[in-house]
Amino acid sequence: MERSFAEDVKQLGYGAGQVLRGEGILAITKALLQSGVSYVGGYPGAPVSHLLDVMADANAPLLEPMGIYFEMSGSEAAAAALLGASINYPMRGAATWKSVVGTNVASDALSHVASAGVLGGALVVIGEDYGEGASILQERTHSAALKSSIPLLDPRNSLQAFARFVEEGFGLSEACNEPVFFSIRIRACHMRGTLVCKDNVRPRIGMRSPLAAPSFSLERINLPPFTYAMEAQKFEHRLPAARRYIREHGLNEHHRGEEEHLGVVMQGGLWNTTVRGLHLLGLADVYGKTPVPLLVLNALHPLVPEELVGFMRGKRLLLVVEEGMPNYIERELKALAHEEKLDVEIHGKDLLSPHGEYVPHLVTGGLRRFVGLAGLRCQAGEAIEERYRALVDHREKVGAVLTRPVAKRPPSFCTGCPERPVFSAMKILRSKEPGVGDTHVAADIGCHTFSTQAPFNVGNSVLGYGMGLASSSAVAPMFGKRVISVMGDGGFWHNGLTNGVANAMYNKQDSVLVILDNFYTSATGQHPNPSTGTNARREPVAMTIPDALRGLGVRWIRTVNPYRIADFIGTLREALTTPTRGLKVIIAKGECMLERQRRERPRLRARAAAGARVVQPRFGVDPDVCTGDHSCMRLNGCPSLTLRENPDPLKDDPIAHVDDTCVGCGVCGEVAHAAVLCPSFYEVRTITNPGRWQRLLGRVRASVIRRLAAAT
Amino acid sequence: MSDPRLVSILIPAVGGQGGGVLSEWIVEAALADGVLAHSTSIPGVAQRTGSTSYYIEVFAGGTGEAPAFSLYPVPGALDVLLAPEFLEVGRAIELGFPSPSRTTIIASMHRLYSIHEKIATGRGIHPIEQLEAAARAFSRSLIAFDALAVAREHDTEVNAVLLGALAGSGVLPVRADAFRAAIERKGVGVTANLKGFEVGLDLALRRDAPPAPREAAPAPSPNVARFATAIAPFPESLQPVLAEALARLVDYQDRAYAERYLARLRPFVDADVELAGLVARHLAVWMTYEDAIRVADLKSRAGRLDRIRREVRARDAEIVVTDYLKPDLDEIYGILPYRLVAPFARWAERRWPHGRPTLGAHVRTTTVAGYLRLWLLARCRRLRPISYRAHHEHARMERWLAAVAKCAERDFGLAREVARAAQLVKGYGDVRRRMTVAFEHLVESVLAAAALEAGRGDGFGVSTGLAGRYRALVLGGPEGEAPAASLAARVLERLRAADRRGALELLEAPRG
Repeated sequence: MERSFAEDVKQLGYGAGQVLRGEGILAITKALLQSGVSYVGGYPGAPVSHLLDVMADANAPLLEPMGIYFEMSGSEAAAAALLGASINYPMRGAATWKSVVGTNVASDALSHVASAGVLGGALVVIGEDYGEGASILQERTHSAALKSSIPLLDPRNSLQAFARFVEEGFGLSEACNEPVFFSIRIRACHMRGTLVCKDNVRPRIGMRSPLAAPSFSLERINLPPFTYAMEAQKFEHRLPAARRYIREHGLNEHHRGEEEHLGVVMQGGLWNTTVRGLHLLGLADVYGKTPVPLLVLNALHPLVPEELVGFMRGKRLLLVVEEGMPNYIERELKALAHEEKLDVEIHGKDLLSPHGEYVPHLVTGGLRRFVGLAGLRCQAGEAIEERYRALVDHREKVGAVLTRPVAKRPPSFCTGCPERPVFSAMKILRSKEPGVGDTHVAADIGCHTFSTQAPFNVGNSVLGYGMGLASSSAVAPMFGKRVISVMGDGGFWHNGLTNGVANAMYNKQDSVLVILDNFYTSATGQHPNPSTGTNARREPVAMTIPDALRGLGVRWIRTVNPYRIADFIGTLREALTTPTRGLKVIIAKGECMLERQRRERPRLRARAAAGARVVQPRFGVDPDVCTGDHSCMRLNGCPSLTLRENPDPLKDDPIAHVDDTCVGCGVCGEVAHAAVLCPSFYEVRTITNPGRWQRLLGRVRASVIRRLAAAT
Repeated sequence: MSDPRLVSILIPAVGGQGGGVLSEWIVEAALADGVLAHSTSIPGVAQRTGSTSYYIEVFAGGTGEAPAFSLYPVPGALDVLLAPEFLEVGRAIELGFPSPSRTTIIASMHRLYSIHEKIATGRGIHPIEQLEAAARAFSRSLIAFDALAVAREHDTEVNAVLLGALAGSGVLPVRADAFRAAIERKGVGVTANLKGFEVGLDLALRRDAPPAPREAAPAPSPNVARFATAIAPFPESLQPVLAEALARLVDYQDRAYAERYLARLRPFVDADVELAGLVARHLAVWMTYEDAIRVADLKSRAGRLDRIRREVRARDAEIVVTDYLKPDLDEIYGILPYRLVAPFARWAERRWPHGRPTLGAHVRTTTVAGYLRLWLLARCRRLRPISYRAHHEHARMERWLAAVAKCAERDFGLAREVARAAQLVKGYGDVRRRMTVAFEHLVESVLAAAALEAGRGDGFGVSTGLAGRYRALVLGGPEGEAPAASLAARVLERLRAADRRGALELLEAPRG
């Protein structure tokens, strides 16, 4: 990890009254320290990675002196198991991960923690990776909270609110002896704002004030008969205690308004969107003051019947703004209204959308339909309609101007990425030797998932993190040729080692595994993993992928330089055709170029400035040699390999062009070579501050060449 | 209408464009100027070339109480669209964000092409005129210029230039000095970014001044004078193309070769000038096909190395150029005399039906030895007229010219489409072979279709349409080649069944 978050770390040290400026996730991180946590862990993933990044940098200067234990866990399961510390000992702790996928990985440990219950407050900060910008399948975490009786907080969006609800979260957890989910959406994580800080609290139990004696109690062991008692506990004591806490601490907000015959119930995280919708329809001022009664549920589970009934009583119409399905809140309200025989008409998914992120135009549209049904005292229907039309009328005209749809921008590999050439190689082998190379490819989670996108479209399935190999277990035996599975080093260490490799070895799978070892878990932002050589606390570790493979009995292992495409094709061909049965592993080893450039570029610039000899390669295309068929783009897809207008007055088609973001990895030349495309590419090494001898040689060569060139 | 004190800004960027820094500058400037501000972003997989977006709201309300900020831009309620790339303006419009009654669009007109624009075999680039028209139609006021060119010219960054333009547009209640201070506080590339800011500011302030034409009308090429006598007999409109063509042919081979070109062209001039123009262009390109000799010639040109030095801004640094050459057997024996290698070539093509062996070479063109290899190969140009490759290429050209001529007898529109088909003949090695196959199948199918239509006398709409669709499909990318072939087959089928309307339906391009 070359990046540093020094500025953020400094702010984590702020005391009472100081004003922190930064993103939502930083406020949450600060609030953990203000809550007196003894330990923090988690697995990186958007949108919550930053919590771990900052904690990692804060470990030495801030966490260790306070006696707080920090780890970047091996997986979300390990992070959830970390919370086990709070089962027996009254210490506060937090874990974080990307949800829903991380919660899925964590759920075994999580269920056990939730069943045994906790003495010390345990908070799980889940980054709800849902809607625009999400990189995973679209599910909500709500149901996980319900099944395990884990209270779920979804606070309204302001840094101050985030900090408050982290602290309340610990209080809630200790009041009901359950771990608590603190859910935060993507845009909220990245929201920049200010937080008025409190002092950090040194934990009572910490590495500086360790425990003396173990605590044992059969009631906390997840075995029958105690598990039955634990289940009873949840519903007889823990959830009721949680409801009591939520009510007494006013976690949910009931805003009254003149339009008493109607009301809007919403998830706290959707407060901003909802009041903006009301504002645009002329039903709220810019501060969110509105005549429409609102119930803002910052705590989504457990719901507090008294609060809901209290809000519904006397109303004719209700709108529930609830993102995701199933619509638990709407159903709960309908059930309660029925039990209490309230004459209230409850709308939600019918006026909004049953699925998808609740973006403003969707919520605004729903509110408009709702007030249309309800009728308002303060506003004439026409006025509202007019405001709504002002928002949407222009949209009909788009088609007339943009007759052709704007091209999509699928995410792809960075300039110089060591993973891209692996898929160039696979695509070349697929087209040139379909008998061998045109086979099933099980893709995995990571940057390399982009191999499934243009221009490669390599990868027939994506199943889960580190699951690539396992996902081909039943495909391999069904195929007339060997199949390929892909895995990154991140996925390998997270899950692939056991569920992938061990499983394949155990079941004698005869197939090929390509491991992309770029030294970091890059997709989440170049996070350290065992391949990095250090952990998140910068402590050296000696774990390597080949050693791990050998330990599991893998014998056919080849490590190749992915930038040498011809070599890679050769190795892949061998793996796919060798008579040797069993698992064959190719490790494509090359450092993440993004990380490498982050480190090298400034270093080289400094050396050059200091007068040292610096060699910088990059590639180019001869414009008069390129015929503009773009075959190179279809096999390469490097961002720096782009188009430019054809300088030739007799030709129409744009030609290839390498722009100055090129880092000279050499893949365009290698692709042109391996696929026998064209002679347009050349490499040019720029030698800054050359030696005297080299300068002289260069001058001699140049003059000879000039003479020859003139002799035509 | 929402509260006028609240100003919303959407920055739709492409990963790695520094949209994050840009939005930080804006927020910091606003806060420092006593204006409430907040921002959020969807980095998504930003660093990896995907679309990414930043959203900012500033509020110049008096009380100091924070408004209920939105985390999302609202379509139709956007005040500023600040776009560091021009296709993203189109995307934002597609999504309905800017509205003609409200939005100020500030955009850089340079393009970062999407992979889908890159992988077409022909031109896949979204027409810039259309994006420009859309930006004008969907903005209350528009400030659009090539911020990348400006940034390059002043050795600064696009986002700094755009920040200046934003300040100059006057849509934010924030003073220019506050922006300058924000750049200084952020502390990255301060001098360069401040320079960029001033340039952008100035551009935006002078936006009411008549915009300078983006590129001046191209000066008449010197070739027109050089070949004045040769092109004099031809119609005015053809002369510029002919001048370029002749220059190219003489440079490629010699005067005699250029004469041969004119001789081939003449019959079409009398027929139809537009047709002649197309033939003139495509024939010149085809007659200067890129064989190994041509490649070596172009790569050993005086001035090439200077061009490369300029490209990499080498200044006083040394450069080492390595050329990646990998001719296949065809290209190697292609430059040898036909009589000599024809039998061998026939054998080789039987021996290796799918692509011949190749000879990879990394030539150090900046060394004397390396340069000599190219220079000597380039000297083989004398051999070219009798070469194996020339024999075949010219036979193909003759077949194409004959087809165009035959179609010209029937219908000029049809003939023009067949002439345009020569655009497909390009590439090297396997690619060129593949494209040639597609091209010849196109011509063959169109001739067959024309013959069928000739019988009926309702014009040549089908054959003409087929030629156009076929070319479009192939230029769309390799995956379009098989569908093009099968389309041709189905069209001919229907024509044979005297189902003209049915055939025309097949040719209607799919919508979108």
